[in-house]
Amino acid sequence: MRTPTRIWSVFGFLILLHFGLHLSLGLGEGAPDLLVVALLIGAKEVDIGRGAGIGFFLGLLDDAFSVLAFGANTFALTLVGLGGARTRDLFVGDSLLFLTSYLVLGKWIRDLLHWVAVGEGLRESFVDTMLIQSPISAAYAGLIGVVVIAISGLGWETVR
Amino acid sequence: MPIYKSDTNGSARARSGSIALGVFVLSLITLYLPDALQDEVASLLRGSLLRPFVLTQEGLVRRSIHAEDTDVLQRRLDSLEVVIANSNTLSEENARLRRLLDMSRRNPAQYVAAIVIRSGTPGSESMFMLDVGTRRGVTRDSPVMMGRGLLGVVRDAQANRATAMDWTHPQFRASAMTVDGSIYGMVRAAPGRFREADRLLLNGVPFRQELAPGVALVTSGLGGVYPRGIPIGEVIEESGFQEGWQRSYWLRPFVAPGEATHVNVLVSEGGEYRDANSWLEGGPLVPGPVAVPQEPAPATSGTEARTRR
Repeated sequence: MRTPTRIWSVFGFLILLHFGLHLSLGLGEGAPDLLVVALLIGAKEVDIGRGAGIGFFLGLLDDAFSVLAFGANTFALTLVGLGGARTRDLFVGDSLLFLTSYLVLGKWIRDLLHWVAVGEGLRESFVDTMLIQSPISAAYAGLIGVVVIAISGLGWETVR
Repeated sequence: MPIYKSDTNGSARARSGSIALGVFVLSLITLYLPDALQDEVASLLRGSLLRPFVLTQEGLVRRSIHAEDTDVLQRRLDSLEVVIANSNTLSEENARLRRLLDMSRRNPAQYVAAIVIRSGTPGSESMFMLDVGTRRGVTRDSPVMMGRGLLGVVRDAQANRATAMDWTHPQFRASAMTVDGSIYGMVRAAPGRFREADRLLLNGVPFRQELAPGVALVTSGLGGVYPRGIPIGEVIEESGFQEGWQRSYWLRPFVAPGEATHVNVLVSEGGEYRDANSWLEGGPLVPGPVAVPQEPAPATSGTEARTRR
């Protein structure tokens, strides 16, 4: 059953898991970007103002460790939160294909926005970052996101 | 059936749009905040909401360090004892010669030991945190070293925490020289195609001077950030980049950032007295033929005689 309590519990759990894997265990790239998965799940439930606000807050948390690129994650996740909230006005579909595309594309756009915002001095080449590394991590995050949604029973019937 | 909710109220939608726009503008402002304010916000978050995660990693790293093979630690200890035993005579000679030349006693370097904590979040690839801060004498620009050489530099220090960048960071710079001080240049990070291929580039070497592969480079002390003599890396080959009448060389760093779990931070005051030798006076610091003691003590047979290389 897809209840608000369940959705926000999964949202909170994913955030805790993200920082647990990345920060506490120091897994880095080995762990999926669960922050963007949580944001995309949460943003579908709120209006664009709240979506942007949630993205802003999560981005600030992610930026707490990037001293010289501070604000890049905040900028990226704010726009992803805003866009995620906007999708519910644009798409009614809830199929597995839509859901996977939503998560994968959301993660890829998040990386693209981060790449743009991080500045010329710090960014790596577009081809390496956006066409090689990012699609892999987007697919990874999308896969994990779909599994989490299916296991947690958030109500996407087609997934379960 | 999925629940579909949509704002039908026009004013609510407009209000939501205004909030979204405001938050977006705020995120843009965050990008261009002054450095000091960015540091304050970041350290506030690290010290509050993210503190449990940082403490967990700190505990795990501490445990993994303690779990290191005692045989390896014993061999290192034995090797250090050999090095110290062999450098005692040198220290005495050095002190005597300084007196003869009427030179003042050299101040010993002071270090604090620290544990490296990596966040693993996007945008923090070349950054790491240390579990020591201003209370232990760590300040902005304090050099961070591992056993064999320079790892990076502290960018921001709080009371009990510090944030530092390693040599792979695009903004890393260090003035370097050969061990004999005959050739100088500027070292910077040169990102590889992938993170594992990152290396250093030595720029600004006069065209008339050449460096052979394997030559060790140390910090020159120019610029005031790094003291003279910290090992950086060794020359691999000449690079293709030439600016005017200058040569540049690829360097293989002595320290791999991925291996860093336990480091020493050089502090100006307030640190623990851990080593009386400064980097260039404490014996051979870089790869060279003089590292192995001539007559190892019987008690240390079977151990590896190590030097900082």
